[in-house]
This record gives sequence, C-alpha cells and structure tokens, in this order.
Amino acid sequence: MRYSVSEWTKSGSPWVWLNAGAVAICVIMVVGLLGLIAMRGLAHFWPADVMQATYTQGDQSRRIMGELVQQEMVPAEQLRGAGIQVPDGVEEMRRDLLKVGNRDFSSADFVWAMDQGISDKTLPEMIMVAERLEWGNFYGYLREVRESGETVARHDGHAKSPEYLAVWDEFQRRIDRVLEIRDQILTIEKHEIGSINYELERLRLEERSLELEQSTDAEAYAEIEARRAELNADYEVLQQDLIDLYTKINRDSFTAEIADGREVEIDIAKVVRAFLPNKMGTGEKMAHYGVKLWEFLSDEPREANTEGGIFPAIFGTVMMVILMSVLVTPFGVIAAVYLREYATQGFITRLIRIAVNNLAGVPSIVYGVFGLGFFVYFLGGSIDDLFFPEAKPAPTFGTGGLMWASITLALLTVPVVIVATEEGLARIPRSVREGSLALGATKFETLMKVVLPMASPAMMTGVILAIARAAGEVAPLMLVGVVKLAPSLPLDGNYPFLHLDQKFMHLGFHIYDVGFQSPNVEAARPLVYATAFLLVVVIALLNFSAIAIRNHLREKYKALEM
Amino acid sequence: MTSEVKTHAIDIASMQRGESNLNLADEQITLQVKDLRLSYGEKEALHGINMDIPKNRVTAFIGPSGCGKSTLLRCFNRMNDLVDSCNITGQLLLDGDNIYDRTVNVADLRRRVGMVFQKPNPFPKSIYENVAYGLRIQGINKKRVIDETVEWALRSAALWDEVKDRLHESALGMSGGQQQRLVIARTVAVKPEVLLLDEPASALDPISTLKIEELIHELKDDFTIVIVTHNMQQAARVSDYTAFMYMGDLIEFGATDALFTKPEKKQTEDYITGRYG
Repeated sequence: MRYSVSEWTKSGSPWVWLNAGAVAICVIMVVGLLGLIAMRGLAHFWPADVMQATYTQGDQSRRIMGELVQQEMVPAEQLRGAGIQVPDGVEEMRRDLLKVGNRDFSSADFVWAMDQGISDKTLPEMIMVAERLEWGNFYGYLREVRESGETVARHDGHAKSPEYLAVWDEFQRRIDRVLEIRDQILTIEKHEIGSINYELERLRLEERSLELEQSTDAEAYAEIEARRAELNADYEVLQQDLIDLYTKINRDSFTAEIADGREVEIDIAKVVRAFLPNKMGTGEKMAHYGVKLWEFLSDEPREANTEGGIFPAIFGTVMMVILMSVLVTPFGVIAAVYLREYATQGFITRLIRIAVNNLAGVPSIVYGVFGLGFFVYFLGGSIDDLFFPEAKPAPTFGTGGLMWASITLALLTVPVVIVATEEGLARIPRSVREGSLALGATKFETLMKVVLPMASPAMMTGVILAIARAAGEVAPLMLVGVVKLAPSLPLDGNYPFLHLDQKFMHLGFHIYDVGFQSPNVEAARPLVYATAFLLVVVIALLNFSAIAIRNHLREKYKALEM
Repeated sequence: MTSEVKTHAIDIASMQRGESNLNLADEQITLQVKDLRLSYGEKEALHGINMDIPKNRVTAFIGPSGCGKSTLLRCFNRMNDLVDSCNITGQLLLDGDNIYDRTVNVADLRRRVGMVFQKPNPFPKSIYENVAYGLRIQGINKKRVIDETVEWALRSAALWDEVKDRLHESALGMSGGQQQRLVIARTVAVKPEVLLLDEPASALDPISTLKIEELIHELKDDFTIVIVTHNMQQAARVSDYTAFMYMGDLIEFGATDALFTKPEKKQTEDYITGRYG
C-alpha cells in the first residue's frame, strides 16, 4: 500500500515521530550524562593494578611503578616541539598518564610517559600501595618494619614468599594498632577538647559581657574564674593523655624500596591503609571498594579535599536544603493565600504576580549579592550589635553562615512556591468551600480546615521545585556562607546543637573547589566526577522524599479528581 | 422528562403525600421576604420578591432554568455575598430580624440556615469528621457530645445503619447518594432552624432520589425546609407549599395541592402542564 506524503502528514504520524524522537534524545542525554559521571566517579574507588616497567627515554632507562590512569594520542608535531624524538613518518604517538605517587620522594605524583618507551611491563604481586594522611599514595616494596628504630622484621626479595608475607602481616598488625590509637586521639581532640574549648569560649564571652555591662558583681567573676580553672584542669588531664597517645602512635615505622631503588623510611602513624592490589582477588577488591566508598561518604576530607571523604559537604547541603524548605514553605504559602484568597483581584495583584514570576528569573548571583549586602552585613551586623556585643570585633551573624545561606536560597525559591500554591488554590472546587461556609465556618476556618489541606499537594509540588533549584545553586552560596573546609559540622553535641551562624560545606561548591582550585588537578579529577554524581544522588533523594510526601497527600485528598 | 406531567396534572396531585387543606394564613412564619431585589452588576436577577416561608413545612421553588429560584435560595443564608458583583436591596427577615442588617454575623446566620448543594460536596475527611466539622467549628470538642451528635445526625439522615462500621473511612469512598445524605447529616448536625436544599437529588439515581425525598419528609418535623427543584413530580411529592418563579418574578405561591390542581395564573398552568419550561 502506498501513501502520499500529504496523507502521511495528515495522519499525524510525523508529529508522533517528532515527539517520540525528542523524548528519546532527552532520555539518552540524561542517561548518558549520569552514566558518564557515575562511571568516571565510581571507578575511582576500585583498586587499580600497579604496573612495574622499564621506561626508556633517549639513551636513559629507569624503573617505574604506578597505576595507568589514562592514554591519549598526541600529534607528532607537538612532541617534536616539546623536544621529544619522534621517528619520521609517524603522525601520532600514544602517551600514557601514570600515577606514580610518592610525592615526597619524587617531584610529581603523576607522570606522562611515551607508550613506546615502556617495556617489560609486569604486575608484581608484592607491590604495595599505602594511603597516607599526607603526601598522597605511596608505591613500593615493603622492606622492614621497625619499632622505636629497632628492626622487627625484614625481607629483601621482590617475589611472593612465606617470609615476605610474614613481614607484611607484621606490618598490617601495626597499622591496625595505629588506627586504633588514632581513633582515640580523634575522640579526645574533636569531642572532648572541642567541647572544653567551646565552654571556655562561652565563659570568655560571658565575662566580656559582664565587663561591657560594667558589672561589679564579684561573685559572678569568681564563679567564671572557678569554672575556667575547672575546665583548664580537665584540659590538662586530656592534654597529658594526648601526649601519651602521640608517643605510642609514633613508635613504629617501616621502610620500603621505591621505583628508583632507594630505601625510604616512613612513620606508620601516617598510614591510613596499605594493600597489595596485584595480589587481590575480585572478592577482596570488591570489599576494598566498599570500604573506600563508605569512607568517601562518611569521612572528612584530607589533603586539600583531594583525599578522604566528603561527609561534611553532604551534611551541609542536606541541612541547608531542609532549612531552606522550612523557611520558604510558610512564606510562599502565606503570600499565595493572600494573593489568591484575600487580595482584591485587579491591576495591583496582576502587577504583583508579574513581579513574582519575574523574580524567579533573576540570576542567582544577584540574590547572593543581595544576601551579602542585606542579610549578612545589614541584618547580621545589627544582630551582632544587639545580641552579641561581647564577641565583637569577631562577627557572629555578621558573616556568612548557614542561616543566611538558607534565607538567601529561600528568597530565591519563594516565587516557585507562590506560583505552585496559587495554582493549587485555584483548583479547589468552589462547592467544597461553599459547603464549609454553609456550615457556619468563617472564611479563615474554611481556609485552614478544608482549602489548605486540599491544596497541600500543590504546595509540596512547589517545595519540590524549590528543592530542585536550591540544592544545585552554588553561586549565591559562595557569597553568603559556604567555605571549602569547615572545621566542624553545623549540628553537634555542644549547646545549642544547631549552629546557624556557622559556615558550612556544600557539594556544589566542593565540586568547584576540588576541580578548579586544587593544586593537584590529576588527583582531584575523579573526585570531581564522584562528587558530581553524589550531588545528583542527594538532590534526587531529597526530591524523591518530597514526591513521596506529595503522593501520600494526593491520595488523601483526591477529591480534586471528582 | 415529564411525559406523565404533560398529560394530567391530577396524577401529580394523587402522588402527593403532604397534608391537604393547608392554608398559608394559618402557618407560623419563619422567613419573610420583603421586596427583595438582586442584581449581578447591571443585570437584575430578582425583581422584588415578596413571600413568607412557613415554619416546619417543606416549601418548594419550581420554575424553568434561569428563573432565579436558586439565586433566591442562596439569599436566605447570604451565599450570594461570595459573588463580588452581587447587589441586594430589600429585606429578608428570619424570625423577624433582617439578615442583611449590618450587625448580623454571617457565620452565625449560616449556622441557623444550613444549605445542601446540587452536587454532593463532602470534605476529604472521614465520615465521622465530615459530620463533626460544623461542631468543631463551633468550638465543641467534647468527644462524648460529638459522638452523640454524629450518631443522631447520621440517624436523622437515614445513613447510620449503612456507615456505622466505617465511620473513620474516607467520605470520598461512598456512593453519590450516600454522599448527599452525608452532606445533609453534616448540615443537620449543627441543628439549624432552616434547611435549604438546592436541587439535592438532581445528580442522583432514582433509588437515591427516593431516599432523599423520604428523608425530607422525616426532617420537616424538626426543620423548616426550602427546596429548589426543577422536577415537578418531586415538588409535588415532597412539598407542602410551592412557589412558581419565572424570569426573576414570583408568579404564584400557595399550598402545593392547590397550586398543582387549580393554579390561579395562566403561566403556572402552562408550566405545570408542560407547555413551556
């Protein structure tokens, strides 16, 4: 059967194809984007094989050890320009990026090597990778384990043997011991000394405010002094404990042979974990992967954010979004209710609606500037003058912080909530309102008991859109309270538990910081992908929970579909 | 719809089960309408209505679509206040007090004059909470009082036996007829003096309609009922008095029996015999 083009057009199928095509392209792009960042980000935690090879460059050759990170083809022109000999007639050459680590012993932890010059590639089982608190990864052969400078165990070969594994086990035992001690140190430093410092700071502020009031209450001063003495005594005890722990943790060290044949000594206290990637089976690798991923999610960052976890950033993002939702919902709903239910509809309400809609289109950095100028400097400064004069000249609320960031984002997203709520209110059938009014309810009672509950799914839609917009914002936050490294979480065990004045970390800003402000670009790149993927996951989770709440409400008030 | 009506007005009279020999002059009057004029913007919808609604009787408003019967009904509890462009002159006395007086609290008035609408409009709450709504609005919070009133109201609306086992399920799961009786129960629960029914059975099936009509019959002992309907058989079946309206005017008002058998005005006769409308 044959159709003419005009019949085909009339039948509507080209438009169906067009629509389906557009949808398909959108889906492919979204899936592709997520797939790319997930793959690049999540692969980072997989323990890669460590290669040992001979690298010949000109007439020099040396041993190299490292993980193959990336390969690329480079035009011969460019290489010749860089002074590398390239045979005639070759258009391009393969170049490998190797992660060789050992930043403290060699100049760079990433090196480019011409693929051609690499020979004798092997994956020796006993090459060790040690993650450290500083200087990045260490690659080498374990040689010796020392206790207080005395050799405990030593092995000189390169191949796997029972003797070598015994030395390795000894090494592992000592790492476990160090980890245990480090936990104790952290508990004391972060929590116990942290809260003593917090208390001391509060005492100082109390004393200062007494001075500002020009109080002559000798008793009060004496009491502060007494409490301070008590805290100082506690501190002394903890300090002594810490000194002991530090002596213990610094007892052991190990030596290892690095790529150029030198034998170097490193404190075990600096080691986070050590493993033999080439010897690991798939099961072990998976377990290792799980541990690394969990560390990424639950730990604090190390080494200028290029190692360790990003828990503070996740926490900061979620905290800020929740605070923002708590702030934006009542404001948006009240504004929408007034606009829709109480205001006389006319020119002015129309003007306000246009203004609200346009507000949603203002670039976010403008809100950031406004937040800095109005909230932080003006409001925050006034709050400091009124309520925290004892802390001056150090600002309390007069500087960026969690509260100002949340309020700024609430301002940014309030139009979305207003518009969504207004639409929800407009959709409530007149008959239901009349039913309530006919029973003797006032307009306000009708609103509170019938209309608002029925409009709540629409409000949740507004909040969902607000969350989606706010969680991804970075620009305004840079002005009103986000930092690259916050010393403590905004929620902790010290009174008043939620510290609204504190600066915080944010996933979006973290991506920017790690990706573009980091001194070690190569090391940071996979983390950028991983963090980006995590940001998407966090936003999706926040949205899903809001959507779940909305669907629950919808189910409850499905009268609208009548 | 009314092929029987077209043939014999007498048939309708035989269906009626209200008392015969009613006379408006002997009745106690609850609502008095005095020269009530209502306009939406420039357009006048009611041109000076005068009528007395008797206490504890069922009064039906009939008339063709757009004749103003619903508008008049909505004046009785000031539902027209919700329409911005609506303008009302004249008086409407409830037990002798003008309800359009400036000192009248509209919420209190609506508590005394309850209303049931054309489409069932239960709130998206449980059956129990729907009936308790009006009480809670009045600030009654004692569980015992509310329990008793809910049961009484549901019994009054002949709904108790059907729903007593699922009082706390959503009212939206009920059938249309049940929903409408629930709305009546909800209105009855606040114990109004007057019950306004705006075509209460027009969205229901015949069985449900029958139940509503029986219910109206039961309720008139306790309430003054005003019902708007465009089903003349229904008016004849349920009402004691009937008012026929046409184009915003009250044409004829009297005992249902008399109006349907011996209409005084030509227009009334034409309408009830189906010549127009």
